[in-house]
Amino acid sequence: MTRPKQALAHSASSAEAAPGTPPGAARGARGRGTPAGAVSWRSRLYRWDMKASPYAFVSPFFVLFAAFTLVPLLYTAWYSLHHVQLSALDHQTWAGLDNYRNLWSSDFFWNALRNTLTIGVISTVPQLLAALGLAHLLNYRLRGSTVWRVVMLTPYATSVAAATLVFTLLYSWDGGMVNWLLHFLGFGPVNWRESDWGSQFAVSSIVIWRWTGYNALIYLAAMQAIPTDLYESAAIDGANRWQQFRHVTVPQLRPTILFTVVVSTIGATQLFGEPLLFGGVSGSKGGSEHQYQTLGLYMYDQGWIIGNLGKASAIAWSMFLILLVIAAINLLLTRRLRKSR
Amino acid sequence: MRTSIRRSQRLMALAAVAALTTGLLAGCAKDSDDDASDGSGGGNGSGKGKITLTIGTFGVFGYKQAGLYDEYMKLHPDISIKENVTTRTDVYWPKVLTRLQAGSGTDDIEAIEIGNITEAVQTQADKFVDLGKEVDKSQWLDWKNAQATTKDGKLIGLGTDIGPMAVCYRKDLFQQAGLPTDRTELAQMWKGDWSKYVDVGKQYMKKAPKGTKFVDSASSVYNAAVGGASERYYDKDGNVVWDRSAGVKKAWDAAMTVATSDMSAKLKQFDPTWDQGFANGTFASVACPAWMIGYIEQKSGDSGKGKWDVAAAPAASNWGGSFLGVPTATRHQKEAVALAKWLTAPEQQAKVFAKQASFPSTPSVYTKLKPQADTTAYFSGAPLTQIFSDSAKTIPSQPLGAKDKPIDNAISDVGILQVEQKGKSPAQGWDAARNEIKDVLGQ
Amino acid sequence: MTTSELTLSQGAGRTRRSRGRGGAGKQLHAGPVTYVVLTVFALVSLAPLVWTAIAASRTSHRLDETPPPLWFGGNLFRNLQSAWDQAGLGTAMFNSVIVAGTITVSTVLFSTLAGFAFAKLRFRFSGLLLLLTIGTMMIPPQLAVVPLYLWMSDLGWSNQLQTVILPSLVTAFGTFFMRQYLVQALPAELIEAARVDGASSVRIVWHVVFPAARPAMAVLGLLTFVFAWNDFLWPIIALNQQNPTVQVALNSLGTGYVPDQAVIMAGALLGTLPLLLAFVLFGKQIVGGIMQGAIKG
Repeated sequence: MTRPKQALAHSASSAEAAPGTPPGAARGARGRGTPAGAVSWRSRLYRWDMKASPYAFVSPFFVLFAAFTLVPLLYTAWYSLHHVQLSALDHQTWAGLDNYRNLWSSDFFWNALRNTLTIGVISTVPQLLAALGLAHLLNYRLRGSTVWRVVMLTPYATSVAAATLVFTLLYSWDGGMVNWLLHFLGFGPVNWRESDWGSQFAVSSIVIWRWTGYNALIYLAAMQAIPTDLYESAAIDGANRWQQFRHVTVPQLRPTILFTVVVSTIGATQLFGEPLLFGGVSGSKGGSEHQYQTLGLYMYDQGWIIGNLGKASAIAWSMFLILLVIAAINLLLTRRLRKSR
Repeated sequence: MRTSIRRSQRLMALAAVAALTTGLLAGCAKDSDDDASDGSGGGNGSGKGKITLTIGTFGVFGYKQAGLYDEYMKLHPDISIKENVTTRTDVYWPKVLTRLQAGSGTDDIEAIEIGNITEAVQTQADKFVDLGKEVDKSQWLDWKNAQATTKDGKLIGLGTDIGPMAVCYRKDLFQQAGLPTDRTELAQMWKGDWSKYVDVGKQYMKKAPKGTKFVDSASSVYNAAVGGASERYYDKDGNVVWDRSAGVKKAWDAAMTVATSDMSAKLKQFDPTWDQGFANGTFASVACPAWMIGYIEQKSGDSGKGKWDVAAAPAASNWGGSFLGVPTATRHQKEAVALAKWLTAPEQQAKVFAKQASFPSTPSVYTKLKPQADTTAYFSGAPLTQIFSDSAKTIPSQPLGAKDKPIDNAISDVGILQVEQKGKSPAQGWDAARNEIKDVLGQ
Repeated sequence: MTTSELTLSQGAGRTRRSRGRGGAGKQLHAGPVTYVVLTVFALVSLAPLVWTAIAASRTSHRLDETPPPLWFGGNLFRNLQSAWDQAGLGTAMFNSVIVAGTITVSTVLFSTLAGFAFAKLRFRFSGLLLLLTIGTMMIPPQLAVVPLYLWMSDLGWSNQLQTVILPSLVTAFGTFFMRQYLVQALPAELIEAARVDGASSVRIVWHVVFPAARPAMAVLGLLTFVFAWNDFLWPIIALNQQNPTVQVALNSLGTGYVPDQAVIMAGALLGTLPLLLAFVLFGKQIVGGIMQGAIKG
């Protein structure tokens, strides 16, 4: 049912918007009815269907989403404007922007922001590139393809606690396997948890390990929908495999790539589970010098360990604001780029 | 082809709808079950008037292992006890706080760790039953009661175990380093001050067996030393005085000597590598509260059997311990109070001690405590009971504060760790701890 | 041409093509290099899980020794047994299947509907609503559990399964994902053609959108199921061990002052195994998407 018709239509879907703007947002539906002749009840029903159905389709999502996700989140916005402790939720005093000002002047906040950026970059970029390559390989006709797919997702399913234990042992300062390898290569041991770049590298490696297969699967699903004849016509034009990958696969995946970039960026900003467990006791500090304390971890420390819910909420919403700023800059840049083209 | 695909689609959809509805129904059906049987749901649904009491803990109490629940249920056939465990303390306490304030979902008895007791006393007192009228308070050590007592004299938690401190050491390593191995002799050498213990460490390092250090970490020395100070982070009136406190200063100095002098194995306690350190014998001594005895025995295993010994600590000090409180939201207040009373009664505390060396907070049983024969043999026949009870009886009453635990973390896991593992100077470490504590206190 | 792996598989592709099968990438058999690379990825991916199993087959004490054990010991079944009994995993598994199953079905269904509307239909505020959806993903959810619990408590639902089901019935992630997928995978012409045939929106969803979305639905289902199964923070806050999910139940392992690491690992292993089963189930669906197209095309 799907494939032949898609093949017919591929030329339309291959023309995609530039990255950065939500692709397809402007195009909308083409199927805005063509009511035939007189206004019969049928066509009225048809028009009503056209108008109402989008709302019917989004409303289950939004009703549930608003009730159980949005409202609690808005509560935390309220907390962020108050002095409120986890131990005294009823004693809220209005703080205005105090919590935010406090963060603005806090070294810990800026340090966490810096760490979030560096860990975000060294974990997200290799992870997405590797995922794209991996998906490409998984997209071949493979013997036992289900098994391969399943295996690639096991890191995501493996208990985080068990995985961290493995990584803690791998990266242990004294007698860990990584240092043992380094020793063979003629390097001195690295204190993976306390050194500045070493700890960030170690945390990033856990993140990469855990999420590469996850993203690969997302890419793989999108690759399933690329019409076969796109490759055929590219091949006729003399494109080799790499050119096909670059000029057919990647452009076709653009909306999905955008999706993974957005989701991974958000994920990197909120990263806290991996570094928390990697740190062991007092893991929420992210190392004695906060060398791998991310914003997510700082928020966890403030909210759950110290119990300063107001300030923790301010961190949460600062993360939101920072992402908005990044998104805005991104939008401006892509607009500028497109104009100059 | 087409029809078969359609059919499989329809089947899938049917299955999906079925799953969704059964899921939601099951979710709600559980409801009605729970209302009947669950303690928090209330009621005596099961017909025979049997009451289910739930006890919320973070997992270290060992009541189940010591058979106390079974024993109580046998004594009281109308009571059934269920334990709800949340092993991560950093999740357990926020969970309890949230539930207390929500006014529902709390267990009939909630365990409170020493690091949270002051916060509970200061902010949650109205959510807990005053147990002072229910028990004979003189059963407990005074300082233990004081920690759980509000300003207006309300006792919100009954003391369970405490953590009187001793020094556990490896006789074989001490001998190789040319140190005495007799526990009384050693105790005499460092008696009175943890800095003397550190001095012994210096001696050890002069002839240290290859690959070993004197102590596991600098923060363990700090922790032991500060746990015996008469004042640490807060004064009696609740002011934060950590940077003026003599106890903190002394403990800090001792820890700094350790951190800067190569006598520490530079491990972080409760890391997998710390466990390995016990197994491999990479450090010769550790400041050990009573509850750590079992830990050492387990982690060192057969390789450490008969090599470990226990000596009295330089100064009495306490690390850890907990309380059992009864939230007012419980539907079975009378029964819950009775159970909490029973679990913390001297005889029961003695039973837990026999099982896992959790040290009682009730001095009347100190003469009757019997550790397991294996354990005594493991520690070279050391008089564990006597060493720990001597320490317990002389622990000073120490005012605690609401943010005691985060402040403690700031000093240990930021300040000291920076000096020990990152080569910072003690002054830099102190400044780092100060900044951290400012952040903790929201200043 | 950047990596040898790509160049090489490209070579492999050429030889296959001469056999007359179409030139598209997905039709090509993988070359040996592909298998080598995939095997490396697979080993790295599997290692921690395998080690979990090794740890679960040892004694707790053996795990503290260096070097750590690298091969199986003889305690696996004893540890699995005691983990199962101590944690009461029977009820927990049942509950987790209900919770994760319901969440998965609901997320996939509602995300596909909303994602389709966002991708292909025109309605007022659609851009704004989509931005709102993506925007809320940017706020970390960990703190929201406090107001959420207060609310669930007001509804009288403490410790009941619906407290963990309801908040996860839909995710912004799922809707955004399906939207991005359908923008690419669902040609507008296809919908138009159906409209010309007089198909109602419901029919279009049923006969056009769902078939086109199948691989993505399978992947979303897979990811959602794992997420719901492994979700930790909120279930622990919201439930207790009298009516637990697997993650909540596993918390009752490792009690006492000396947690038994081997039993904890056995519990972790038991908690993961059902997921592997689900993987195979959903994984086949991703294949299904291809096979279907291949047969008909």
